[in-house]
Amino acid sequence: MLCSSSAAIKRISVSWLIMANNSNFKSHRLSRSESSTKRPRTMSIHSSLKDAFSSYADHLNALNEKRERIVKASRDVTMNSKKVIFQVHRISKANREEVLEKAEKDLAAVRDQHISRLVKELQGTDFWKLRRAYSPGVQEYVEAATFFKFCQTGTLLNLDEINASLLPLSDPSLEPLQINLLDYLLGLADLTGELMRLAIGRISDGEVEYSERICQFVRDIYRELTLLVPLMDDGSDMKTKMDTMLQSVVKIENACFSVRVRGSEYIPLLGSSDPSSFLVGVSDVEL
Amino acid sequence: MKSALRNAYYFTLSRYSLNPNPSLLQIAPFISTFPSLPSVLSRNHPFRSPLCATLMAGGDYDSLQTSPLEKQFEKFRVQLEDSGSLRERIRAVVLEIESATRLMQASLLLVHQSKPIPEVLQKANSQINVLKGLYNKLAEVVRECPGQYYRYHGDWRSETQMVVSLLAFMHWLETGNLLMHTEAEEKLGLNNSDFALDLEDYLVGVCFMSNEMPRYVVNQVTAGDYDCPRKVLKFLTDLHAAFRMLNLRNDFLRKKFDSMKYDLRRVEEVYYDVKIRGLATTGDSVGDQGAQKI
Repeated sequence: MLCSSSAAIKRISVSWLIMANNSNFKSHRLSRSESSTKRPRTMSIHSSLKDAFSSYADHLNALNEKRERIVKASRDVTMNSKKVIFQVHRISKANREEVLEKAEKDLAAVRDQHISRLVKELQGTDFWKLRRAYSPGVQEYVEAATFFKFCQTGTLLNLDEINASLLPLSDPSLEPLQINLLDYLLGLADLTGELMRLAIGRISDGEVEYSERICQFVRDIYRELTLLVPLMDDGSDMKTKMDTMLQSVVKIENACFSVRVRGSEYIPLLGSSDPSSFLVGVSDVEL
Repeated sequence: MKSALRNAYYFTLSRYSLNPNPSLLQIAPFISTFPSLPSVLSRNHPFRSPLCATLMAGGDYDSLQTSPLEKQFEKFRVQLEDSGSLRERIRAVVLEIESATRLMQASLLLVHQSKPIPEVLQKANSQINVLKGLYNKLAEVVRECPGQYYRYHGDWRSETQMVVSLLAFMHWLETGNLLMHTEAEEKLGLNNSDFALDLEDYLVGVCFMSNEMPRYVVNQVTAGDYDCPRKVLKFLTDLHAAFRMLNLRNDFLRKKFDSMKYDLRRVEEVYYDVKIRGLATTGDSVGDQGAQKI
């Protein structure tokens, strides 16, 4: 009894000190003896809440940090894939072999240096959960790889082929990074824009047959994709890409048409600024 | 040589007769630009050549490249149709989840009309088993494509958040405590499943629950329960403090968490109203009256 009252006196004196230092009612209330039975219960509720939320915080922190690393890797993949595309655009009849050789090397470098970072981060549910973080990079890579393959062989690089090229990057015990169907199709849509630029460029260089082949190829892709776009998950970006794709197809077709119609007037090596060139009046290539 | 060409042309026509593929009609002009093609055809048995992968290894004969191209896209179409039908099945289950949730919500609304809590909870609890069954059904559907939980997650995200908020509110009415993430999973029968309750969905659900608190407190005080504000205030303060431990991005969860402080403020106001009028009848208010406000 005496102990409890001396303890109570101690508590009250402490509480006056606390009150002198701050006007927080709660701490004063907790020091009251009738609240002492509440205190352990309060503390245990509070600490279990604290523990739970600190584990939630750890989980969210890990997720967000991983997401950031993936976004950074994806940006590097995008940048370097774009460089490959620009490299392939430099192609002409004269330098075909060396341009393609360099492009192949650069593409391998994108895989080894940047896509490998994505491979390290992504496992299990990450592939779909964090897809928005790495999708732009992967789309750009698909664009670059398919563009290169077309210039090399005139064929479309399959999804299976592109995924096979990524398998060596992963540890065999882990799940490999495999490009999913949606990113492949989105990348393919961007490919047609690059092919349009290539076709117009090749016509200027006099490679009309090559451009006609490109035209056929782009038409095939467009046709196949029209069947798939309505079925895609959130296909709204794909729909706008399809509109752009049709414009690209029409541009190539018009360019090929102009060459055929004015074939007799066409003199190789003249630029589009020459008034007799068939390219006068053709709308500019939009980026 | 010409007959080999013709054979290949007719064969491909018959193979793809149902396929409205105008590019086939352009085989002839294209073949003319690739003079080496006919020899390859005669070498490789034209009746099998359009389907034969070895012909494609040559690489420059894109007139017949439509075959692997078309095959690939046909495969894609099948995959996309499958995922589309899976999505429809998911949607069907989610609609049922939505209607069970609405029933639960409707019975919980009675709590604002100060119906006795056990009675209200009994009606709402009966829906929990329904939900458990539905979530397990959903898990079964999603299990058909392993690893793709997050591909379709958007289809049940908002419904799940609502479910969590109702469960948490009910748990609080019963026990005065916060329903934990693992407890919520247990209630829905998802704790041992590969179909988990996403943590962010749980947290958003908890924020939705806190949105109910101000209204509940106001109605309780109106009905005469003057102790309620103190309990709610304590709970909400702890909850808000716990949430402050999280580092959030500027996303939907962050917005919902920001709204929690307005709920907290509203409850504080109600608590203050009750306290200064001396309506709160616990020993607490006596102790507070004894303290000198500086």
